[in-house]
Amino acid sequence: MAELGTISLWIALALAAYSTVGSVAGKLRQSPALVESSQSAVYAAGLVLLVATFSLVIAFISRDFEIAYVAAHSDLAMANRFTWVAFYAGNEGSLLYIGTVLAIMSSIAVWRSPEKFKDALPYTTAVLMLTLTFFLAVTAIMANPFDKLPFVPLDGEGINPLLTHFGMFFHPPALMAGLIGITIPFAFAMGSLLAGNTGDEWVDAGRVWGLISWVLLAAGLLLGSWWAYTILGWGGFWFWDPVENAAFMPWLGVTAFIHSIMVQKRRGMFRMWNIVLINVAFGLALYGMFMNRGGSVPSVHSFGSSSLGWIFLTFMAVGVIVPFLIFIWRYPLLKSARNLDSMLSREAAFLVNNMLLLAIAFVTLWGTVYPLLSRLTNDEEITVARPFYDQVNGPLMLALVFLMGVGPLIPWRKAGMASVRKTLLPPIIGGLATVGILAALGLHKEYALIGFGLATFVTTGILLEWYRGTRSRHRSSGENYVTAFLNLIMANRPRYGGYIVHLSVVMVTLGIVGTSFFSTQKDIVLSPGESVVVDNYEFVFLGSVETPKGNRTEFTSTVQIFRDGKLLETVRPKRDFYPSFNMAATNAAIRSTPVEDVYIVPSENLPDGSVGFRILINPLIWWMWVAGPVMLVGTVVALWPQRVRAPDPVPSPSRFSSGTRPTVV
Amino acid sequence: MRRSTLIPYTHIAARSIPRAILLLLVVFALFSALTIAQNDTLHAQTPEPNLPEGSFSESQAQGIDRMIMCPVCPAETIDQAQVEISFQMRQIVRDMLSKGSDRDEILDFFVERYGKDILAAPPKSGANLVAWLMPVGGVIAGLIAVYLILRSMARRGSAPITAQPVTDAGLIPYLQLVDRHLDLNRNAAQLGSKSNPTSSSVYPPGDALGDSPNTEESKHNSEQGEQGR
Repeated sequence: MAELGTISLWIALALAAYSTVGSVAGKLRQSPALVESSQSAVYAAGLVLLVATFSLVIAFISRDFEIAYVAAHSDLAMANRFTWVAFYAGNEGSLLYIGTVLAIMSSIAVWRSPEKFKDALPYTTAVLMLTLTFFLAVTAIMANPFDKLPFVPLDGEGINPLLTHFGMFFHPPALMAGLIGITIPFAFAMGSLLAGNTGDEWVDAGRVWGLISWVLLAAGLLLGSWWAYTILGWGGFWFWDPVENAAFMPWLGVTAFIHSIMVQKRRGMFRMWNIVLINVAFGLALYGMFMNRGGSVPSVHSFGSSSLGWIFLTFMAVGVIVPFLIFIWRYPLLKSARNLDSMLSREAAFLVNNMLLLAIAFVTLWGTVYPLLSRLTNDEEITVARPFYDQVNGPLMLALVFLMGVGPLIPWRKAGMASVRKTLLPPIIGGLATVGILAALGLHKEYALIGFGLATFVTTGILLEWYRGTRSRHRSSGENYVTAFLNLIMANRPRYGGYIVHLSVVMVTLGIVGTSFFSTQKDIVLSPGESVVVDNYEFVFLGSVETPKGNRTEFTSTVQIFRDGKLLETVRPKRDFYPSFNMAATNAAIRSTPVEDVYIVPSENLPDGSVGFRILINPLIWWMWVAGPVMLVGTVVALWPQRVRAPDPVPSPSRFSSGTRPTVV
Repeated sequence: MRRSTLIPYTHIAARSIPRAILLLLVVFALFSALTIAQNDTLHAQTPEPNLPEGSFSESQAQGIDRMIMCPVCPAETIDQAQVEISFQMRQIVRDMLSKGSDRDEILDFFVERYGKDILAAPPKSGANLVAWLMPVGGVIAGLIAVYLILRSMARRGSAPITAQPVTDAGLIPYLQLVDRHLDLNRNAAQLGSKSNPTSSSVYPPGDALGDSPNTEESKHNSEQGEQGR
């Protein structure tokens, strides 16, 4: 298998390099045959990489310990289903995975690219394949997962226990796919620029692939948070770790992009800005992969250390500087088709939204580089961690939530003050009422009040829009309310999909506000039979059982949760100790309800049979995890292809609204 | 000609908005200043005032835990880290609190022993104030940039680049109707009455109409269009 893998890797590398050179040469020499064969090389590279992937999977399943990577990331005791996780447990496999995903996405993007983009497609192909060439070259030369050991060990080192969690089946692959996925809209933008296209030919493909990488990144971030919450054992889900930040920033960049691309799609404006944005997002994605795979910063994600750092850094520099040079070269072509009618318009709101998103990304980047700057200029070691980001990004995020409530209610082009006031009035009343009621109930934390007020504000706005649209359909067509509502959504999927995603963001906000301000935490050592009261709950520790299991020792504690003297549940939080890693993986017991989570995790098992517990009552965090599926549904709705409509033979007023379908995010 | 009807409109809107954006800017600057000024972390809850001397609340101690990095683990605070030294440091925090030390004294104690990088955030003093002021400066610069960009985009608006002649003869009567409505509407808008369903229809047909999301009627129109197909 090692030979097959290595050979496929090199063939794919050759195909990618050929396709890069071939498409550019074919385009410049106007040779359709060469262009076409370069495109076929993209598909071929995808297939060959699938063979390489398959080889590595077979190697894992057959526990082929002659292969260094397999020996380092699996052992005989590992269940076969963990092959999926072991595949990307180290740099080598991750790079192979990234390369394969890029090749497959590229194949689909090239195959499905719109007819009107045909002229610029060879350049896009070249950009895609150049990126693929880089990743495959690094994999084949410096981090080949098929490298062999000089001897065959009897058993492997085993898989990192922190990875054997359900969330790990999706969090890393989703994030990596999302990061590399940004290459696709970036390549479409670059292809358009290189070909000298002045128009919006790349916009549809850019939007679709932007949304795909956006949802992959969002899912990856949420799943990672969920994993941290259930397994890292400190009761939180996000702590502004440098690698979290590195994945968060590209997500911010893409979020800005999928909003502002709508302005170009709908209005032919912001042409330069969208190119700049996707360049920024691509740069941040490269940075994300550098942090993740270069492994230069201490973090919980430093699974494998490597010397790939400087190569990634060089590629990142090239990947940022060259596109900007191209952009400057083509700058004169990128005139907006239209001008801004008014500062009170959705276009303007989108620009402010972009600014806020980039500001959060900037703060995050600043926090990441500040320790380095301080070391260089002041010769002083400084840490920038969670308190900094919470304090600086917190208000910015609240402002963003506010804008999320305003932006979609402002029409394109321009809005009259009177009509905006009329539309915004009910949401504002809703928000203020929430603040008033909560304050009257004795809640006096300003940020939390603002957070809940804004959540109501946004939700009211969205629900009213839905209600108005549904009612108007119901009245005009006599559909019942359910049909009318579904038809309303289906009639303008990008817009209503966007609303659904916004609702999920409100849910995330609830979770963050709830846990940041109202969580109760208690660390306590309990002997068997002892109990403790936290908030309204009483916890009785019955005892702990120690079970040796192959590569680990499991400590299972039994705890009864009482509320008002009634037994709610008996839970069994676990702590697994892995001697070979000198590492413990905890498995918190979580009793989750929409109101609050009861969270119990054993943090140490003492020799006398007593156990140190961390107990948390986390209000509203349930909403955070429910937001994930909602976000996914929203994105699928927004992405669902619209029917291509035949021109209307009857000149009628409806003609006006049918030129472009209302497609609003 | 059609363009000319909308110019006054544009100007009305453009003039009233800078104030809104300036307001936003001020709000933001205040917000950011607040951020910098707050001495607690977001998570540290204010200590209960009526506690007797020498006692402290657990949440107060946890707030301090979250300000101190664990010296041996990667990027974790002593609140998060599950290693022996962080258990000990948490105990020190509680011991000092019960002896009457306040938050700053405790943080200073750890800074003396481990250096400034034991703090989870840069101190808000001296050269490190830069760390806190830079984001505020960045946000304000961003807002100003957005304002300037929007203004320049709006100014260019007087050049009728995109006004294309109406090519579809079937549209002409409708556009005329719309123009009449617009006049009615402008009067209506000044009286502060209901929003105007067809206001967007003045524009040349190159632009999609029926976009305006907040008027029921326009949505209604576009939906009827759908069913017509």
